[in-house]
Amino acid sequence: MSSRESRVRLAYLGMHPSRRRDLEERLGASGLVEAVLDGRIEVPDTARVAVEVAAGRRLAELADGTRLVLDGDSDYPASLAELPDRPDALFVRGALPEAAAVAVVGSRGVTRYGQRWTALLAEAVASAGIPIVSGLAKGVDGIAHRSALVVGTPTVAVLGCGIDRWYPAGHARLGEEILAAGGAIVSEYAPGTPPAKYRFPLRNRIVSGLADAVIVTEAAVRSGALITARTAVEQGREVLALPGDLDRATSEGTNRLIADGAVPVTSVDDALEAVGRILGMSVEPAPAHPLADLLGNGVTLDDLPALVGKEAPETLALVGRWELEGLAAVTAGVVVPR
Amino acid sequence: MTAALIGSTATTVRVESDVNGVQEGFSVVGLPDAAVREARIRVQSAVAAAGLRLPHGRKVVNLSPADVKKEGSAYDLPIALSSLVLARALPERPVVAMGELGLDGSVRPVASAVAAGVVARAMGHPCLVPGPLAAGVADLTGATTHPVDSLAEAVAVVRGKGPEPAQATTGVRPAPDPDLSVVRGQPLGRRALEVAAAGGHHLLLSGPPGAGKTLLASCLPGLLPDLDREERLETALVRAAAGLGPGPSTRPFRSPHHTISEAALLGGGSGSPSPGEVSLATNGVLFLDELGEFPARLLDGLRQPLEAGAVHVARRSWRATFPARFQLVAATNPCPCGHLGDRLRACRCSAPQLDRYARRLSGPLLDRIDLRVHLPAVDADAFVASPGESSAEVAGRVRAARAAQSARGLANTDLGRDELDALDFDDEASGLAHDALKRGLVGGRGYDRVRRVARTVADLDDEAVVSGAHVAEALTLRGGR
Repeated sequence: MSSRESRVRLAYLGMHPSRRRDLEERLGASGLVEAVLDGRIEVPDTARVAVEVAAGRRLAELADGTRLVLDGDSDYPASLAELPDRPDALFVRGALPEAAAVAVVGSRGVTRYGQRWTALLAEAVASAGIPIVSGLAKGVDGIAHRSALVVGTPTVAVLGCGIDRWYPAGHARLGEEILAAGGAIVSEYAPGTPPAKYRFPLRNRIVSGLADAVIVTEAAVRSGALITARTAVEQGREVLALPGDLDRATSEGTNRLIADGAVPVTSVDDALEAVGRILGMSVEPAPAHPLADLLGNGVTLDDLPALVGKEAPETLALVGRWELEGLAAVTAGVVVPR
Repeated sequence: MTAALIGSTATTVRVESDVNGVQEGFSVVGLPDAAVREARIRVQSAVAAAGLRLPHGRKVVNLSPADVKKEGSAYDLPIALSSLVLARALPERPVVAMGELGLDGSVRPVASAVAAGVVARAMGHPCLVPGPLAAGVADLTGATTHPVDSLAEAVAVVRGKGPEPAQATTGVRPAPDPDLSVVRGQPLGRRALEVAAAGGHHLLLSGPPGAGKTLLASCLPGLLPDLDREERLETALVRAAAGLGPGPSTRPFRSPHHTISEAALLGGGSGSPSPGEVSLATNGVLFLDELGEFPARLLDGLRQPLEAGAVHVARRSWRATFPARFQLVAATNPCPCGHLGDRLRACRCSAPQLDRYARRLSGPLLDRIDLRVHLPAVDADAFVASPGESSAEVAGRVRAARAAQSARGLANTDLGRDELDALDFDDEASGLAHDALKRGLVGGRGYDRVRRVARTVADLDDEAVVSGAHVAEALTLRGGR
């Protein structure tokens, strides 16, 4: 059995990557396939059956637009190539970015604070033409992808399930939009693999691996985004974290990252500068918002009259015009530049 | 004669009496409740205390129409007077009387006295009501109203020798309480309240606990024009139907708690029809604090009164209509934790939680609320700020704005789509309103709300044509799609 034939078959084995790597180092890819087939290595029946199928048939049954990329292939992502825990095979839809990318990750249960800053940071990074990598999860991940789409920069979603299904189901449309906009969907799991809790932490090493820097915008202490930050550090990637109030449990994780040496995000421009330094490219900060000096990160409608030196009616009319011109938005009585 | 309330409508009740047997007895017929049936006992004692006598034999008093339920002690006085006519102690002369009798012959106040004034005025007869209520009844109804403190005085009036009719007293308007000047800082809340008062718009105040939502809401009645006589009479009749006294002459401010029953909020009850808080708030303000805590069933029930301005309640044995034209002020926390938009404390709600919370408050009720503003927590600076304008100053502008609306024929809050399309917007104003629609800042209903509010803002500026600045301000006051 050729090595390539074996490696394609092993892509469907579904064994934990580190166990597989150990076995493969001892037995070689073909040896591992044979060992699985003749029962010397104990695996679930379904796994054995999966490996019985010939590579040719596997590749033929892949859906249109989906391809299997093996480590060492010319289109295997260069950023993954030198990592010790890299996946041997990746299922890919769409075009993987060739240039440097930035991962933006965080909690699924995102707050308005996290929503706002995820969008601001991801949009700024994507506006500089840098692709955004994330995990297509609810919350921060979804906002990160969407922000890239808004400014028309490709974005990459790494799945924790088979590439033939969308999880969460509500993000199916987002996934299709990512593909339509020239981005990519990536998974190390064979088609048909259901989402499972233990797969998402493994998925996170690919998210950080595909990126040169990881921005964590919101994470509680037990958030999966912290796993991405950890794998990023192990892979030698730089981590940026958005600080939050100390009494905000939803920012406890990011605050701790900063304490552990992550680069604190103190403004969009700061973050862009750090990303530029890490990527070794000059990143032009976005032109200053015309209302940035006045509104900063938001001013309540109650405080605004004193700031602009007008009466309430004129101030409210002013805000209405800003909204119409797309310069500002009002949420919960706070006027924020946009 | 006397009066009964069907719903909050006063109807005439004829009191006739007869002796139809020799055996001693006294009965009251015509659907009396227990309190009315007991009247005969109070009447007998009161008549004796007045030094008069009832005729011998089996006395019958009929309250006609006999198929309308009669309730309460207000029929004591007319029953007594009718019986005395029977005893030839009184001339047969039509009067409209209401009052409860004490065993000592005194006449005591009853809540429904104003109904007697309405009937008396309509029929052109003199009216006899308990002394302390006479001036108020005369003022509200314009009837010739004699104050009577005892059965003896009532007898004297019927004989043409009793106390003179009460003079209608036009009370001095009490100072608004609380006065808007106690609201310090809060330019947004003050402005929203002024616009709400000027256009009659319903108002939603959201904000963290302590943002001053309740204080602002309770300032609204003081900004509205004085009640005219018709409105005061209507309000008094609703109160009478609820068994409440005439109350102050200011606009009502009702703030039911969210645990209120459906009947207490909307009207009804198992016995006789009783008006709910929506009717008691007629011509005034209905304040619903913690709107999100009210059961959905109650909020749905508010739709009929909001649309029709009246509540129709029907039970097996009766149906009644009460007015329910109130201005709604609702208050709510901005989010489950209460701190969204707070300057001092971070909101810890997740975005899906916020979306769910917003959905709970959406729907047909919210569609009818033109003004929605978010009040931030009041910070310490506001407490040392100089007092703002007083209620009287704002009320002056509100009065002028309302006069402009009366001249057009419709309050701005009642403007429908056709009327809105017919309004005078200058080019910039209609351009901005269209832009808001095109850019998705407002939906179809939001577009109408913005136009209604813009009309009010223009009225406050004393402008016949709505300009761009008015639309822009209305856009900020709309608070969401």
